[in-house]
Amino acid sequence: MSTRISVNQNVKFMIVLLLSCSLLTGCWDRMEIEERAVVLGISIDTADKDAEAREDEISHLRGKYPAPKQELIQLSVQIALPGRIPLGPGEGGGSGEGEQETVWVLDVVGHTVDDAMMNLQQQISGKLFFGHLRVIVVSEEFARKGIENLNDYLHRNAEVRRMAWLMISKGKAKNHMQAAPKLERVPALYLASTLDDAVKHGKFPSNYIGTFWSNSSKKGQEGFLPYIKIMKGDNVEISGMAFFKGAKMVGVTKPIEIAGYLVIKGISPAGYRGIIHIGDDSQVVTIHATNRESEIKVDIKNGMPHFTITATTEINIEEKNSDTIPVDNSKILEEIARENERSITELLIGLIQKTQKKESDIFGFGELVRAKEPSYWKSHVKSAEQWGEIYKNVTFDYRVTSKVRRIGMKAE
Amino acid sequence: MNEQRQITVTQAAAVTISTIVGVSVLALPLAAVKAADAGAPLVTFLGMLLAFVGLFFMTRLGMRFPNDSYIEYSEIIIGKWLGRIGGLLSIAFFAVLSSLVAREFGEVVVTAVLKNTPLEVTVLVMLLLAAFSSRRNIMTFAYIHLFYSPFILIPALLIVALSLKNAEIVNVLPVMGNEIRGIPAGIITLSTMFQGYFIMMMVIPAMCKPERAMRSSIWAMLITGVLYILIVSATVSVFGAEETKKLLWPTLELAKATSLPANVLERLDAVFLAVWVTAVFTSLFSCYYFTIYSISKLFRLADHGMLSFFILPFLFVLAMLPQSLIHLNEVNSVISKFGLLITIVYPGVLLIIAKLRKKRGKSK
Repeated sequence: MSTRISVNQNVKFMIVLLLSCSLLTGCWDRMEIEERAVVLGISIDTADKDAEAREDEISHLRGKYPAPKQELIQLSVQIALPGRIPLGPGEGGGSGEGEQETVWVLDVVGHTVDDAMMNLQQQISGKLFFGHLRVIVVSEEFARKGIENLNDYLHRNAEVRRMAWLMISKGKAKNHMQAAPKLERVPALYLASTLDDAVKHGKFPSNYIGTFWSNSSKKGQEGFLPYIKIMKGDNVEISGMAFFKGAKMVGVTKPIEIAGYLVIKGISPAGYRGIIHIGDDSQVVTIHATNRESEIKVDIKNGMPHFTITATTEINIEEKNSDTIPVDNSKILEEIARENERSITELLIGLIQKTQKKESDIFGFGELVRAKEPSYWKSHVKSAEQWGEIYKNVTFDYRVTSKVRRIGMKAE
Repeated sequence: MNEQRQITVTQAAAVTISTIVGVSVLALPLAAVKAADAGAPLVTFLGMLLAFVGLFFMTRLGMRFPNDSYIEYSEIIIGKWLGRIGGLLSIAFFAVLSSLVAREFGEVVVTAVLKNTPLEVTVLVMLLLAAFSSRRNIMTFAYIHLFYSPFILIPALLIVALSLKNAEIVNVLPVMGNEIRGIPAGIITLSTMFQGYFIMMMVIPAMCKPERAMRSSIWAMLITGVLYILIVSATVSVFGAEETKKLLWPTLELAKATSLPANVLERLDAVFLAVWVTAVFTSLFSCYYFTIYSISKLFRLADHGMLSFFILPFLFVLAMLPQSLIHLNEVNSVISKFGLLITIVYPGVLLIIAKLRKKRGKSK
């Protein structure tokens, strides 16, 4: 009996000892949260003409220690203000001050991204921290000149996650840092969730910065990024896909062409609506795609890769503009499906031709050749540049099928 | 002596597994894609086969001399002085290997996690940990490995499984890769990633049934081989071969890009690093233990405990010699290729000579 008690006490003593040991540990890299400047968003523009004059001699002395021979960039950051970020739905303007700024937007100029960050760090007390970086907005003008430098900087930084969104903006990227949409207290988070939700609703393929990097480095594929622009009320619209050749942006699609991309890749859920004419074109039916499936086959015909795209979409009927033709039998539904197949095929042809013209294979057809026809790849392609050349002239077969599954709650 | 002969087949396998899985896990996919692009999983598999040849030689030798240590029976087989030179070379190799493991650990920690902590501190802490733990006898050694091996295997498999939702099969096709020329050199590089299997040498004389040693060798190789192939396949199928080539530590990047379902954890690199630190500790522990154990056998010492702190300063200085990570990797690849002589060629030669000279140890 007594031994048992003493064993128990020993065990208790040990536990207390062990727990107190854990209190004694420290951390060399300890950094209080208010000592860090948490960067939520970054935007990059090409700098204005007068930027040179604004640049301070932080990373190099003017004229003596040569600056990189790159055009100046203007970099803006959105830094979270400690204590102002609402942690839950309950905390909203509790002190009655109403709309409080949650972030601080700063901008600097520099020759490279790191140079600009250095210039920024010079004017901020806390250490810049990129662990929560969610969005990077790059202006179209800058992206067309090439974003190797930006990619390199983010790739090297161990704090940056691969799940951040990189996007291309129409017009000035800085505006996206300053815009304050009403739906979300933190603007950068709103931008990120705009795209996250677009993925969830089948309006954009999941394309985080990590995916973009993987796609651009592949030999048989090029990268693409969301193309956004600011609308009325500081809102953001996803208005297409900016497609790349290497690190240079070469073109942009229309928003509906994103649906074409999703059809080719067979990504579900589907989220786009389409308009179908039936009868003598006076009646239109709006359809809503729900599911997509696809398969791409490659074979070599006359020394050139030839792709067969087999895609299936399932659609629901959402509305019609007049009552001339009732949708009450499967014949009509089949007719609608045929019409839809035709319009999807046209969409695909247009989209693929657009990318072919710029030699930007954002679909990864080249990867299919590399994977499935290695001997052809070895003797004819081998490099990304060569694939771009070939991609311009490859041929496609489209086998699009479409099925109307549901017509909603109305009987006719 | 009797309490020294208790290691079971499972324990022996666990020791080998947790020794092999170590610091190299982080750069493993990089080495594989450098050799064979999309054929990385195949190269890993072939590398495993080559490593198994070495392990096979070692295990057969060990089973032939179930009572003697590596150092002792190499003296029996090829004569006292040649055997001692062989022993000395292997001791030097494992000493250097443990210092390189400690250094690489330090480099990863300083680059990716604790940026302000001095490199010397992380390296020294790891070496101290190994030094403290290796003072005990071989049973404790086996128990420590057995205890940690599930903590290495299960989370690693979990990360691989979770990352597969971003995987694309096209990335790992064609199976042979697009450039076949790199494969032979790749097999050699990849087999060095399995070098930890040498620990079987030390374990066999302490097994209660040494005649079953081959069984643990096969299991250990199979499990680590499958784990490595899975890690390589997952990394390459998520990132693609070209992107993997751009990443210094692709496995860490994989963990960073993987999230738990429902975003409970948005990135798993913290989990992965915890696993990895354990894995590094167990491999370093083995290298360290092997070094001092062999020294004690070479000089016919009764106990190896006192050596554990004696070699610490030497290893620490060795670890600090490489100037940068790139330099470290260059040194590492030279050393580990040299290691192939010690872990595959040398035991092979010993085995053949032992057969020719009909040398055999007493059965226990």
